[in-house]
Amino acid sequence: MSNFKLEKIPKTFNRYLTIWWFMSKNSFLSYIMHRAGLLGLFAGKILRFAFFFAFIFFLLGGTDTLAGYTFNQTIFFFLTFNLVDTISQFLYREVYRFRPLIVTGNFDLVLVKPVNALFRSLMGGADVIDLITIPPLIAAIVYVGVALDPTVIQTTLFILLVINGLIIATAFHIAVISLGIITLEIDHTIMIYRDLVNMGRLPVDIYRQPLQGALTYLIPVGIMITLPAKALMGLVSPVGVISGIALSGIAFFASLKFWNLALRRYTSASS
Amino acid sequence: MTSKYLSVFKISFQQEFAYRLNFVMWRVRNVMQFFLVFFLWDTVFSDPNRVVFGYDRNKILTYVFGILLLRALVLSARAVDVAGEISRGDLTNYLLKPINYFRYWFTRDVSSKALNLGFAIIEASVLFLLLRPPFFIQTNFPILFGFLLSVILAILLFFSILFLVNMIAFWAPSMGWSAQFLVIVIVVEFLSGAIFPIDILPNAIQGILSYLPFPYLLYFPLQIYLGKLTGAAIVKSILIAGAWSAVLLFSVNSVWKAGLKHYAAEGR
Repeated sequence: MSNFKLEKIPKTFNRYLTIWWFMSKNSFLSYIMHRAGLLGLFAGKILRFAFFFAFIFFLLGGTDTLAGYTFNQTIFFFLTFNLVDTISQFLYREVYRFRPLIVTGNFDLVLVKPVNALFRSLMGGADVIDLITIPPLIAAIVYVGVALDPTVIQTTLFILLVINGLIIATAFHIAVISLGIITLEIDHTIMIYRDLVNMGRLPVDIYRQPLQGALTYLIPVGIMITLPAKALMGLVSPVGVISGIALSGIAFFASLKFWNLALRRYTSASS
Repeated sequence: MTSKYLSVFKISFQQEFAYRLNFVMWRVRNVMQFFLVFFLWDTVFSDPNRVVFGYDRNKILTYVFGILLLRALVLSARAVDVAGEISRGDLTNYLLKPINYFRYWFTRDVSSKALNLGFAIIEASVLFLLLRPPFFIQTNFPILFGFLLSVILAILLFFSILFLVNMIAFWAPSMGWSAQFLVIVIVVEFLSGAIFPIDILPNAIQGILSYLPFPYLLYFPLQIYLGKLTGAAIVKSILIAGAWSAVLLFSVNSVWKAGLKHYAAEGR
């Protein structure tokens, strides 16, 4: 800590940005080696979005509202879910490839490199498919969001809380790979995380207590997805915003502690 | 011959228990997916007298619980591994053995279905006690017989769809997973009625979907159980499902023969 110098931060940031760029480029090159597979996955993701969108469209055509939310509001919840989910998948795709590193002991090669091991394990290869889907998703959010007629403060809070949601998503991903180091199990844990986040496709208000409370505070899917969308609609209180930000700080801090604990438990077996 | 496949059944069943954590986590995932669908419909039908899309609260929540059980019976399968075996060249091992590859995988599927159905019944019972939803019990014997027949056809249909998708690996070994993601995870999931009943869609779309095989996997069997189809409509749905099963099983056989001619056991 005594060697910490503030002026080094931009230099370190640039260095990591360059490393991330190279790793993402390599990931992209390996993707285009399997163009047909890439096309299938891309088509699948678009179809899933279209099917669920159509479902909400026809459902609310028959019911008018869902838990008191109009069609535009419900779609906005769905789009916010997609934005947080897609950005986190784009950034943290490497988590899905982490298990072989631990099982084979090749994680040693990550640890000995002069790059932060957590950075390498989380962000070692961006997902090109998600990159393609992010711009149209943002355009859709702007289009539907404008129709909800938000104020500048509501829009600012929405952006701030989406970033807050991404910090919680980061904490989840760190926790998953940390658990992976200790238990060697990642594939199902990450899919359980995905299933939990999928419960935020629709506002968490639809769930009964105590599940609703658990999804808001214990597994903060509500804070990740429902809270930003509600902020744009002017439906959150200042206490709600502050609690949400505090919770993401706690989750992020706890996940870093867990990562450090997991690193101490790493045995380098099979290497 | 029967004892050969009975042994495959037993070994496959035991294998599932060898990776207990994987299996438990898979079931946990099923329960979480159930929560989204259950609470969505629970909210829509919070007024017990409400009738939307021809469903009342009893029937829609029975549909949701029915999906939990029927998914375990129809959509549980081990044949998802076929594409991997073809692309790694492991298929050769089976070609050299005195075993029918289709029967082998069908037996493994049946073992997976038995295990998943057992767990799904336990989960559904616990969830039923926790959530206490209203439940529609069908007591009409001919309708129950039609339901049983439609479930058997659904199992055959899913087996053939899954096998056809996996056999893409004969021509494009690296496409096995993406083809399964597109067809099984996305198309089957939505068009079979696993997320929502097809009759919330406009009539024109329902009409088109009724000529595709997917709604006959979950939606139509449950429509029969709920008594939303009667008499001629049940017979028509069973005939269409039967015709699709015959066409797809014939296609599986033809694609298999063509695939074997193309198979070069790469990776061995």
